[in-house]
Amino acid sequence: MSQGGAVLLETREMSKTFGGLKAVDNVSFALREGIVTTLVGPNGAGKTTLFNLITGHLAADAGDVTWLGNSIRGVPHWKIAQSGIGRTFQDLKLFDQMTVEENVLTVTERGAWLWQGGGRTGLAARRARALDALDAVGLSGRRRARAIDLAYAERKFLSVARILAAGARLWLLDEPASGLDPGSYDRFVTLVRDQLRHGITICIIEHNLDIVKGISDRIAFLDQGRLLAEGEPQAILNDPALAAIYFGERAE
Amino acid sequence: MWAYLVNLAVLISINAILAVTLNFVLGYAGIFSMAHAVFFGVGAYTAALVAMKLSGGFLLSTAAGMALAGLISLALALPALRVRGEYFVAASLGLQMLAMTVFSEWKVVTGGIGGITNIPPARLPGWTVASPEQYLVLCLVCLALVMLAVATLVRSSFGRSLKAIRDDETAASAFGKNVAVIKTLAVVVSSALAAVAGSLYAFYLSFVNVESFTLDTSVVLMAMVIIGGTATLVGPVVGTVLILLLPAALSYLPGLPQSEIGSIQQMVYGLAMVLLMIFRPGGIWGFRDNPKDDR
Repeated sequence: MSQGGAVLLETREMSKTFGGLKAVDNVSFALREGIVTTLVGPNGAGKTTLFNLITGHLAADAGDVTWLGNSIRGVPHWKIAQSGIGRTFQDLKLFDQMTVEENVLTVTERGAWLWQGGGRTGLAARRARALDALDAVGLSGRRRARAIDLAYAERKFLSVARILAAGARLWLLDEPASGLDPGSYDRFVTLVRDQLRHGITICIIEHNLDIVKGISDRIAFLDQGRLLAEGEPQAILNDPALAAIYFGERAE
Repeated sequence: MWAYLVNLAVLISINAILAVTLNFVLGYAGIFSMAHAVFFGVGAYTAALVAMKLSGGFLLSTAAGMALAGLISLALALPALRVRGEYFVAASLGLQMLAMTVFSEWKVVTGGIGGITNIPPARLPGWTVASPEQYLVLCLVCLALVMLAVATLVRSSFGRSLKAIRDDETAASAFGKNVAVIKTLAVVVSSALAAVAGSLYAFYLSFVNVESFTLDTSVVLMAMVIIGGTATLVGPVVGTVLILLLPAALSYLPGLPQSEIGSIQQMVYGLAMVLLMIFRPGGIWGFRDNPKDDR
């Protein structure tokens, strides 16, 4: 297990309240370069909310988040995305009526103007990048199919291809392995390991403890919006108090 | 009979331009605009005024209409597109109501209810469009150019961005798309191109007044797009042909009382919409099972 390189992203005392519910409560943690950090915790622990705070889809009530040393709190989420933070969603949020290739090609096209820079050469380069991403997840044979017509595992891999083609440096993956058959899961882990070697940093939300064990370099444990522990997988997973919380026997 | 057919073909071409440009925002960007007739009207009034006051030819008058329509749509889109879907419907409806008041009350400019009359024939460099047949050619050329522009945009990176936003706005922005700017640009392009239809209409009738640019027109245009097939290039044209031919077809049906044609037409529209929703939700030309959704 690697301890990772420099701190790429850091949250400091972040909080978010919905009505009376503290969804994220004073959370400070760091994502280090080149490793997989897993967010675990029971349902409602605030894991996805934390993702949304990092990517700017939700505005934090308090605290700060820094990316490559600069604060990104309050920055529009499309700008945060362009700065190299990519994410997947639990419900995938594919562009359903578009083809598989278009799904991946469009995330390489960030300009809001009527055309992108680079002309035909630029388009050819973007298309090549899109096809590489589809190759990497094994979907190049399905590139003309519409996203909505794919099987579940294919849809999951398409959501990963999108983040790959977008060229994100930090991947925030929201339950990427849920619902995958063992064969697809193995392919997913191989893909993740391969990307780590290419310098990608990954943060995963995951429920399944077997998967957590198999894939994590570090684990952050959240419960009721608070970060209870953060450290190496063995230390976190063998902690009886955390196990009790995870399996629902909350010690008062 | 020939004159009647040419007249019908001209009106179909003009309305097809409106349907194709409305589909650009409705079908590809998922933006429901209830104000498309406003930009049709802005194009018509501007072209009429430029032709009469500045003796502008067709190209200058049309360009002026496009610029003004684009500008006005910017005023609608900038605030309204920062928020999601329903607000744009409400804001565009508001603009439609406001525009109708301006068209009918700003008498110095629009001529009020009486409108603007005696608009000179369309002039192009080296060619005054005199006969209805020549005018039909001009309309068809404009329709072809507008369709070409829309098709090119839809197949471009901009079109992909629009479709991505339509399919999932959250995901589109999570992948770095500046949703507000992209949607605003789409509305501006659509409105400016709709003004071409306005200009053609003003020169063709040599008369414009508010009645052509009401909410009814906006709603019928939406029906043309939905019946024909959203997010297809040809669908809106098919929808336009069907809706404009329906009254003519009904009046030739034996046994129908002529005085009731209007209400029968409404019933047929309603029935057609319901049947479409059930059997072809993608519209008559909508190939929802085919991945190539941009033909």
